[in-house]
Amino acid sequence: MRKFGLHFGLILACVVVLLPPLWALRTSLVPESMSYSTEIFPAFTLDNYTGLFAKNRFGTFYVNSLIVALGSVIVALPFAACTGYAFARFRTGGRFARFVVLATQMLPPVALVLPAFALLRGAGLTNSLPGLILVYSALNLPFLTWILMGFFEGVPVDMEWAAMTDGATAWGAFWRIVVPISLPGLAAAGVLGFILSWNEFLFALVLSGPQTATIPVSLAALQTSNGVQIAKVSAGVVLAILPLVIASRFIQRFIIQGLTFGGVK
Amino acid sequence: MASIELDQVSKIYANGAYGVRDVDLKIEDGEFVIFLGPSGCGKSTTLRMIAGLESISSGDLRIGGRSVNNVAPRDRNVAVVFQSYALYPHMSVWHNMAFGLKMRGVGLAEIDSKVASAAELLGLKHLLQRKPGALSGGQRQRVALGRAIVREPEAFLLDEPLSNLDAQLRAEMRLELVKLHRRLGRTIVHVTHDQVEAMTMGDRICIMKEGRMIQSGRPLDVYANPADTFVARFLATPPMNLIPAHLDHEGEKLVVRVDSETKIIVPEKHYLPYVQKAGGPITAGIRAEDIYETQLQPEWQRITVKVVAVEALGAENILIGQLGRDKPIEIQARLGRHVFAPVDSMIDLYVDAEPMHLFDSETGKAVARPPLPVGR
Repeated sequence: MRKFGLHFGLILACVVVLLPPLWALRTSLVPESMSYSTEIFPAFTLDNYTGLFAKNRFGTFYVNSLIVALGSVIVALPFAACTGYAFARFRTGGRFARFVVLATQMLPPVALVLPAFALLRGAGLTNSLPGLILVYSALNLPFLTWILMGFFEGVPVDMEWAAMTDGATAWGAFWRIVVPISLPGLAAAGVLGFILSWNEFLFALVLSGPQTATIPVSLAALQTSNGVQIAKVSAGVVLAILPLVIASRFIQRFIIQGLTFGGVK
Repeated sequence: MASIELDQVSKIYANGAYGVRDVDLKIEDGEFVIFLGPSGCGKSTTLRMIAGLESISSGDLRIGGRSVNNVAPRDRNVAVVFQSYALYPHMSVWHNMAFGLKMRGVGLAEIDSKVASAAELLGLKHLLQRKPGALSGGQRQRVALGRAIVREPEAFLLDEPLSNLDAQLRAEMRLELVKLHRRLGRTIVHVTHDQVEAMTMGDRICIMKEGRMIQSGRPLDVYANPADTFVARFLATPPMNLIPAHLDHEGEKLVVRVDSETKIIVPEKHYLPYVQKAGGPITAGIRAEDIYETQLQPEWQRITVKVVAVEALGAENILIGQLGRDKPIEIQARLGRHVFAPVDSMIDLYVDAEPMHLFDSETGKAVARPPLPVGR
């Protein structure tokens, strides 16, 4: 009886979590006119998907999102790794510097949008992918730094000492020993940074233009004067979460290993 | 030449606490020196200062006559073996051992031959392609040693390298390290908290406590002539019995009076050094092996103890008993394996008082007397 209760609770929780994406999947495969139908699956069509690409230039935005998300991780990760390592191993900047890095995360993003816009305009980078990459890198940097700091603190210092007595410089010990054994952590941080950039809406809305919009912005644009094109939005949502689902399938093990590294001997 | 000299070396932390305080030591080229002490005594910190992994707050450190206070670890030409082994988990055994040579720009052919000969020496030949994760504790230990050996450093610094091994493997590796030292003839500094390692491996032991080096000398000399009660207790299992007592005159003789019934007469040859302490409190130190179950020498003196427990180890019995009636003191005696002593019974034991030490009851320092001769 108790087991039944437990399973009932778990199934209920799964339904609550899974129903929205499943319903989005269902709606994306149903003609627009029937999307609010009470029937579970009234008819099948792929029009929503083909329409997204044919009429709404979804392919462009998809590629934009990929470039911006990947680019921001590629730019931010090396800096975050070096800063995180410095914070973890040395007394660089003391607690104050650590706090300052964290403090940037405490501001509401809205407060940063206009200054970012002003900066980019000055540099002529509004409505450009490099501009967006730069901003996302800046947004990712503190977050990645903190994640990697925690990770590096878990790496035994003995190994770096061994490398340094073996003839490596401090930089050599970092590059040849710490970075290779921290790959799971770097991968985990990279994936989290990717997701953060991939899902970002506010900055993309303000800083990008018709050519450089990302998926979240393009989905929002489906809200027209004629109402929300809910079937297309659903198709876009399904496509947007697809890479994350696929990636998590492969990287899950990596992430768990990365985020729990410090606790295991 | 790789003598290592520490001249008033101290480590002071940011909060002003001393990690190591005014250590003076000269380690000769080729010497095998043991740093012994409880955890937190500063022995590993001292080792790391020698390696260059920890900065020196004050004092001077010289390796081979050259001051190295501000020399990077990689330029000191010493190798460190860590307690955790600190193998590089992403590299194979071969690469682990080759890393130090690669860093020094040694050619591949030479690396190969050096790694091969070190692997041969340590019995690692069949493991060269494995990663550390696929090795047992003993094998990892050997790889860590091999990594140190291939570089042919001037000195080996070993930081509790055996403490993660099980008892049997530890005994084997102890012997191997001694053989290795004889074979390579290099200076070795070995840090440990294990008194068996300290007694059996080194040419010299240096005992540290609370950041200070309190005694150094050949193992048996230190064992026979401890500088204070800390060394006396630390360097033996079971530890030396320390008995609070009063030193009195009794006729022509000095006696250590434990209570109204129990006394031990000080041997005549120790009368002169000890007479200055007569009439005051004293701590008498008697080793467990200087207490016997039968009287084999006429000068051995009888004491009566109440049996608390007997630890039968097979080859011998460790008897734990209470000495004295008013304020019983727990003492341990190392007796033969045939001794039969029921718990709570009274038993007569015989003390050889000649090796007995007297310690100042306040400072714990040994009352000076001519050192005991040690057979070797």
